[in-house]
Amino acid sequence: MNEQSLEDLLQAAPSPVEMLRNSQIGPYAFPVVPPEFTNWRDEQRAWQETAVLFDQSHHMTDMYIEGPEALKLLSDLGINSVRNFAVDKAKQFVACNHDGHVIGDAILFHLAENTFNLVGRPSAHNWVQYHGETGGYGVSIERDERSAARAGPLLRKAYRYQIQGPLAQEVMRKLTDAPVPDIRFFNMETLRIAGRAVRALRHGMVGQPGWELFGRWKDRSVVRDAIVEAGQEFGLRLVGAKAYSTSALESGWIPSPVPAIYSGDDLSDYRRWLPAQGYEGTASLGGSFESDDISDYYLTPYDLGYGPMVSFDHDFIGRDALEAIAGDPPRRKVSLAWKAEDATRAFGSLFSDSDCAKFIDLPLANYATLPYDKVVCDGATVGLSTYTGYTHNGRTMLSLGIVDVRYSAPGTAVTVVWGEAGGGSSKPTVERHAQTEIRAIVSPVPYSRVAREEYAVGWRTRMH
Amino acid sequence: MSERSLEDILQTTKPVDLLRDSQIGAYVYPVVPSEYTNWRDEQRAWRDSCVLFDQSHHMVDIYIEGPDALKLVSDTAINTFSNFAVNRAKQYVPCSYDGHVIGDGILFHLEQNRLVFVGRAPCANWIQFHGETGGYDVAITKDDRSPGNPKGKAVNRISYRFQIQGPNAWELIEKLNGGPVDKLRMFHMAAMNIGGRQVRTLRHGMAGAPGLEIWGPYEEREEIREIIVEAGREFGLAQVGARAYATNTLESGWIPSPLPAVYTGERMKPYREWLTESSYEASGSLGGSFYSDHIEDYYVTPYEIGYGSFVNFDHDFIGREALRKIADQPHRRKVTYAWNADDVGAIFRSMLNPGEPHYKYVDLPLSNYASASFDKIVHNGRIVGASMFAGYSYNERAVLSLGIADPDIAIGDEVTLVWGEEDGGSAKTTVERHEQIEVRAVVSPTPYSKVARETYAQGWRSREAR
Repeated sequence: MNEQSLEDLLQAAPSPVEMLRNSQIGPYAFPVVPPEFTNWRDEQRAWQETAVLFDQSHHMTDMYIEGPEALKLLSDLGINSVRNFAVDKAKQFVACNHDGHVIGDAILFHLAENTFNLVGRPSAHNWVQYHGETGGYGVSIERDERSAARAGPLLRKAYRYQIQGPLAQEVMRKLTDAPVPDIRFFNMETLRIAGRAVRALRHGMVGQPGWELFGRWKDRSVVRDAIVEAGQEFGLRLVGAKAYSTSALESGWIPSPVPAIYSGDDLSDYRRWLPAQGYEGTASLGGSFESDDISDYYLTPYDLGYGPMVSFDHDFIGRDALEAIAGDPPRRKVSLAWKAEDATRAFGSLFSDSDCAKFIDLPLANYATLPYDKVVCDGATVGLSTYTGYTHNGRTMLSLGIVDVRYSAPGTAVTVVWGEAGGGSSKPTVERHAQTEIRAIVSPVPYSRVAREEYAVGWRTRMH
Repeated sequence: MSERSLEDILQTTKPVDLLRDSQIGAYVYPVVPSEYTNWRDEQRAWRDSCVLFDQSHHMVDIYIEGPDALKLVSDTAINTFSNFAVNRAKQYVPCSYDGHVIGDGILFHLEQNRLVFVGRAPCANWIQFHGETGGYDVAITKDDRSPGNPKGKAVNRISYRFQIQGPNAWELIEKLNGGPVDKLRMFHMAAMNIGGRQVRTLRHGMAGAPGLEIWGPYEEREEIREIIVEAGREFGLAQVGARAYATNTLESGWIPSPLPAVYTGERMKPYREWLTESSYEASGSLGGSFYSDHIEDYYVTPYEIGYGSFVNFDHDFIGREALRKIADQPHRRKVTYAWNADDVGAIFRSMLNPGEPHYKYVDLPLSNYASASFDKIVHNGRIVGASMFAGYSYNERAVLSLGIADPDIAIGDEVTLVWGEEDGGSAKTTVERHEQIEVRAVVSPTPYSKVARETYAQGWRSREAR
């Protein structure tokens, strides 16, 4: 029996938007890791004040790409330059469709000569695998599916941890019993922890050096125990799935663009290749932003803040379209700080007999794989709000937004429409509710300590 | 190296300090997904249509087999066993020698000389202790609850345990059975067919509507579940996730978490020596604004948490003498505290104010942050009760808590519930630094639900509230 393809699914659906808005899948899963190790407030605080251990071993798909043409494949698909992309370097790989709209992004590791690993939500992986298999490239591809998409026992190829926070360096020093490796951002080296070989990627969050550590699955407990032990004196906290999912809010990464693959005849072969039950076919789309045209949900690398990564030093899918807008991208990525009064009003509706506002779950308030709320100002839609939650560090509800350039200056007052029209779609996460307007202040990305200080002397003083 | 006992620990640590600074975290409802759809609609379904509760993981099952099985439970329970034939169940309540509650749970008479107790650990431990050390002719098999964090490992239990509840439950049950099912009296057991398999049933109910608890071999759980879910579609059946499940008791009025009264008393010492440091009693946590150096101040009697009608002096049991002495005295009684919405709003608002006091987070829908919660209730400057289990009901659109109130506190009185712990909070992992806040609350009946109040017939849960 031939498995149904995404294209079959779309042929049977009234429209891609209708299909995705009524998906029964729920929000993106952060599986296996307990929701909280201690409590999510203190776990969030720890990445600002001490140190944290993120367990990223489960929620992302890994895909190993090997062969003499692996780099060529990645170069043909990625907006990124691969010049100087040596072994032991990593980069945030971004793939676009022919119109320059983002299909997905993921972290790409150059593990060894002609060997790469792509790690993230699977939309970029699928696109790379499709071209790898159908484009005549000399590559072999091996996927290691995220835990939520696995049927069998939880045996992954690699564990993946991050040590982050202002004391991450101290933890690393103690853990490796050596000076902290002096490597640049997104460079890797091999360390020994508890007698095991561990690859370390220099990463960072909140402006402080941090490390992503990965190695053989069977070493995961030994390495983890060693990290916890070494971290004890530095106040290292294990971060559960609840707090982890909000780390993107503070760092300003948008994990959830709609993969730009549901429309266009040039992608119909790809949609026939994609299974109906994959990420693209099952993802749910939610929020107040509504258009009949799925391409209105697509985002460019410039929208998502990846402008500096776009490199015209090579030929790649989407290049022409991006070259046309490179000089003057129309939208910017921003943080949207929700007005406390309005968030409180929405919360307070839980106690009223009339319709409640859409429930704001804390700390992550997303109720779809792909959250898309509209941002309005002066009676017009001026942007999108795509990932929503609460930060105990900033003491605010925050969402990541993409707004028209003229509304992107920090301090601009806009309104986020929270909840879905007409009482809500049929997604299982959506109870009947009434839409509500939340005033928000455009703020910088990342919404970090510096941002908070600006915020204190910026809009707060201006508003009063 | 043998594990330390609870008694060993108490040689150097006061029970109140041990429990208030426990590092165990909140009481976990394991394995079951936190939400199948969303907890608001899952709560609504038990009021409006019907639900499937998966109770296969969060409770300990302890099997008691042998000629002395009934004697063992009778010797340790306030309940009478004069009417306890095979295929009956009852809410088993053991007390300490001083007449304080150790715990409670459901005891099933499965067959001649074979019982199973299902509930939180304190009762299970107490049964096991007496079964192993009391000279009874019984064999004890403990099937512990599922791990709070399985870390990807397989979970295995002896039985699955489901409940089908809600106003449409009986129609669904009869559809599953392929014919009428006798509406036996509450806590009577029978059997029915599901998909060609016979499953055992316990007549239960919720909000006045009849329902069933069903169980069978754990291996059959997914097969049985799929049949129920499929058949339940036309009746609006919702599978209930762990978040909503834990709150159903707020509406039905059962207090799941009295502190086991085992930390004091010379006659309880052998038991403390038997309990290990990893036991619920030694590792569990105590949280809330009520603070006393004396652990006894946290103990409750059966009369106080609504079990007065179970106390039966027709047999000899541990705690009998103590309960006899207080039986005719005025008792504190079980009530529901309905929290003031504006005050709950103020707690939420405090999360959004940098630089201002931050109050203890009210997690929704279940707000407990310890295995046993104890928040003080104040009226005219005097402590008049305690709040012991808190959360939000979408059906009632209110934060509710179950607790106890002094005899002179009346339904309808406005009291003050102090939310959060003193001095910034204890060392429990679930407690971020915070300040206490006073929340107004209206003393209300249990069960709170208007529907249940009016339709729980002569049930024990409502008897105490009148």
